[in-house]
Amino acid sequence: MAIVSLKNVKKTYPLGKTEVKAVRGVSFDIARGDFISIAGPSGSGKSTILNMIGCIDVPTEGTVELNGHLTSDLNDREITRLRHKFVGFIFQSFNLIPVLTVYENIEFPLLLGKNVPASPERKDWVNYLMDEVGLKDWTKHRPNELSGGQRQRVAIARALVTKPELVLADEPTANLDSETSEAIIGLMKKVNQDMGTTFIFSTHDPTIVDLAEHIIRLRDGLIDSEYRRDTEGGR
Amino acid sequence: MKLIRLAAKNLLRQKRRSILLGSAIAFGILFVTLINGFTGSFIINVGENFSNLLAGHIFIDGVEKSETGKELYIIRDDSALMDAVDASGIDYRFLTKRSEIRGSLLFEGNGINQSIVGADWSREGYFKERIILKEGSFDNMADPQALIISSKIADRLQVELGDRVIVKMQTYTGQQTAGDFTIAAVSIDTGLFGSISCYANLDYVNELLNLASDEYLTLGIYLPELVDTEPSTNSLIPELEKRINLFSRETAGDENPFMAILEQQEEEEWEGVRYRLSNINDILSEVEEIVRILNIASIVILLVLFAIIMVGITNTFRMVMFERIQEIGTMRAVGMQRSEVRQLFLLEALFLALFGLAAGYLLTAGTMGILSSIYWGVDTPLFMLLKNGYMTFTVTAGQILLNTAIVTLLTLAAAFRPSDKAARLEPGVALATEK
Ligand SMILES: Nc1ncnc2c1ncn2[C@@H]1O[C@H](COP(=O)(O)OP(=O)(O)OP(=O)(O)O)[C@@H](O)[C@H]1O
Ligand SMILES: [Mg+2]
Repeated sequence: MAIVSLKNVKKTYPLGKTEVKAVRGVSFDIARGDFISIAGPSGSGKSTILNMIGCIDVPTEGTVELNGHLTSDLNDREITRLRHKFVGFIFQSFNLIPVLTVYENIEFPLLLGKNVPASPERKDWVNYLMDEVGLKDWTKHRPNELSGGQRQRVAIARALVTKPELVLADEPTANLDSETSEAIIGLMKKVNQDMGTTFIFSTHDPTIVDLAEHIIRLRDGLIDSEYRRDTEGGR
Repeated sequence: MKLIRLAAKNLLRQKRRSILLGSAIAFGILFVTLINGFTGSFIINVGENFSNLLAGHIFIDGVEKSETGKELYIIRDDSALMDAVDASGIDYRFLTKRSEIRGSLLFEGNGINQSIVGADWSREGYFKERIILKEGSFDNMADPQALIISSKIADRLQVELGDRVIVKMQTYTGQQTAGDFTIAAVSIDTGLFGSISCYANLDYVNELLNLASDEYLTLGIYLPELVDTEPSTNSLIPELEKRINLFSRETAGDENPFMAILEQQEEEEWEGVRYRLSNINDILSEVEEIVRILNIASIVILLVLFAIIMVGITNTFRMVMFERIQEIGTMRAVGMQRSEVRQLFLLEALFLALFGLAAGYLLTAGTMGILSSIYWGVDTPLFMLLKNGYMTFTVTAGQILLNTAIVTLLTLAAAFRPSDKAARLEPGVALATEK
């Protein structure tokens, strides 16, 4: 079963008296454990699609299925629970909570919801993740004391803390230099391989796109091409 | 738990703004608690000052119906009264026996209606300390016809120490008569109530009233504390009723007991000798009304003040919501429920209220401390409201609780709309909002 399945998804935004057709009918499946890039020029609908997959936006038409759940069947409370348990988010501008320390930012999602893990377990797990993303010496620092790359590492750890099956990253490297960008994608790929987490990231940077195994190219709200490294091999 | 810490941290984010709002709350609390504190003491201080002036907390006077049906005020034989006081077991500081003349004081064409209290100065040592003399001395009271007047009366009559003034008056049976006094001392005018009385020697006052030397008009019982008034009154009444014919202080509802006595005295058929028992609370019930009005006014002021503060709080929280819109979107994205977003903002408002309240009460305590250490003097029109010339403040736990609850609820109410709006934001919209 596909972990994500979009069927004829359309999204129009009202814009003054007219409307913007951000996504104009997109269907695709994403398999569990995929490491996929959604590529395309600015305005092609990448963010819109990721937002609909992450249930922080709803399609105007068509359906989004997440882990077999039809998202349109769920109310806000259930959607939020699904997001919490099942999806991790990484944002272009990191979106860390400025008043919390690195440790607290990573721990934050774990404290939400009903099944908050016991303190020692939680601590071990957060520390393990901090170690994994290479920030174990930065526990008590605030986000504004960190570099962009470090902040995005915190965001990755935060996205992974609830052990989600799916991580969505909207232009995770857009605010980083190319070297750091590759390191960040490398880290994501490592997690993808080690933990089997499915990653969907968007980018318009060709060198970053190339790091994905599965690429969906968008143009004007439609799929322009789809490419799979494993089946089609090479490049 | 996580929300509590986050809310506290968020409140400290914009320190200046939080301090500003907190101070507004603090000043609201300061203002209202000061009024509460002042009015709380008001009643006590007025009570104590009155009991000092009248030299007692409980008063008994006798009324006698003459053959012609006229009411004569006199206590001829107080042995029954004394027995009752002893038998009741009440604790008192001292007893005073006083007579009073109501008449006109005349001096060189100037006249003034005035009551003159006759007291036994050898027994009223305590009272002597309460009167502050501007001119003359208590030694002059050795003159049987000595008179102490307040400075205001002295001005009106244009008299000086040693001048002789005439009093035109009636004896206790209503015969016209006249007497003369020598100005022995002038007391400091202690405001509104201070000029009620002039003071003279009991013997001479009795003589003018045509009373025998062991007769008098009012027995005053000076109790250790103002709060002893009602309990002592209640112990005294049954003992008095056993021995004398006492007008009942029973009232329907919360009517003033002394009014009930006057009603019986006027409307009921009675003869012989009856006694009236009044206490300081009968007088204070008027003052209590003022205190009630002041306290209601203070609540109204708190509400008005808070209506203004609430606008500030609402606007600030709207601003805060907008400033943190990305953060709200992020928290929602990573799994925070709407209700938790609302709680987070409301907790921040709660902390703001608590911070403001704590600062407000500290400020109030400090201000009260300073105000009550200032000596305002005894010759001010405020004298009646002060305790020996100092301001005092009495605030009840109930008032603090009420003010705290009002402030907390109003702060939460002010923050509710923006908090709810923040909670209702669609996470996608919040994240996409450019600032
Ligand atoms: N909330 C919105 N209201 C109105 N129009 C929107 C909104 N969000 C996106 N759009 C429009 O929809 C289209 C697709 O936007 P989207 O953000 O998905 O593109 P994108 O591929 O992520 O672009 P970029 O690379 O610039 O991030 C654009 O034309 C954009 O202006
Ligand atoms: Mg985008």
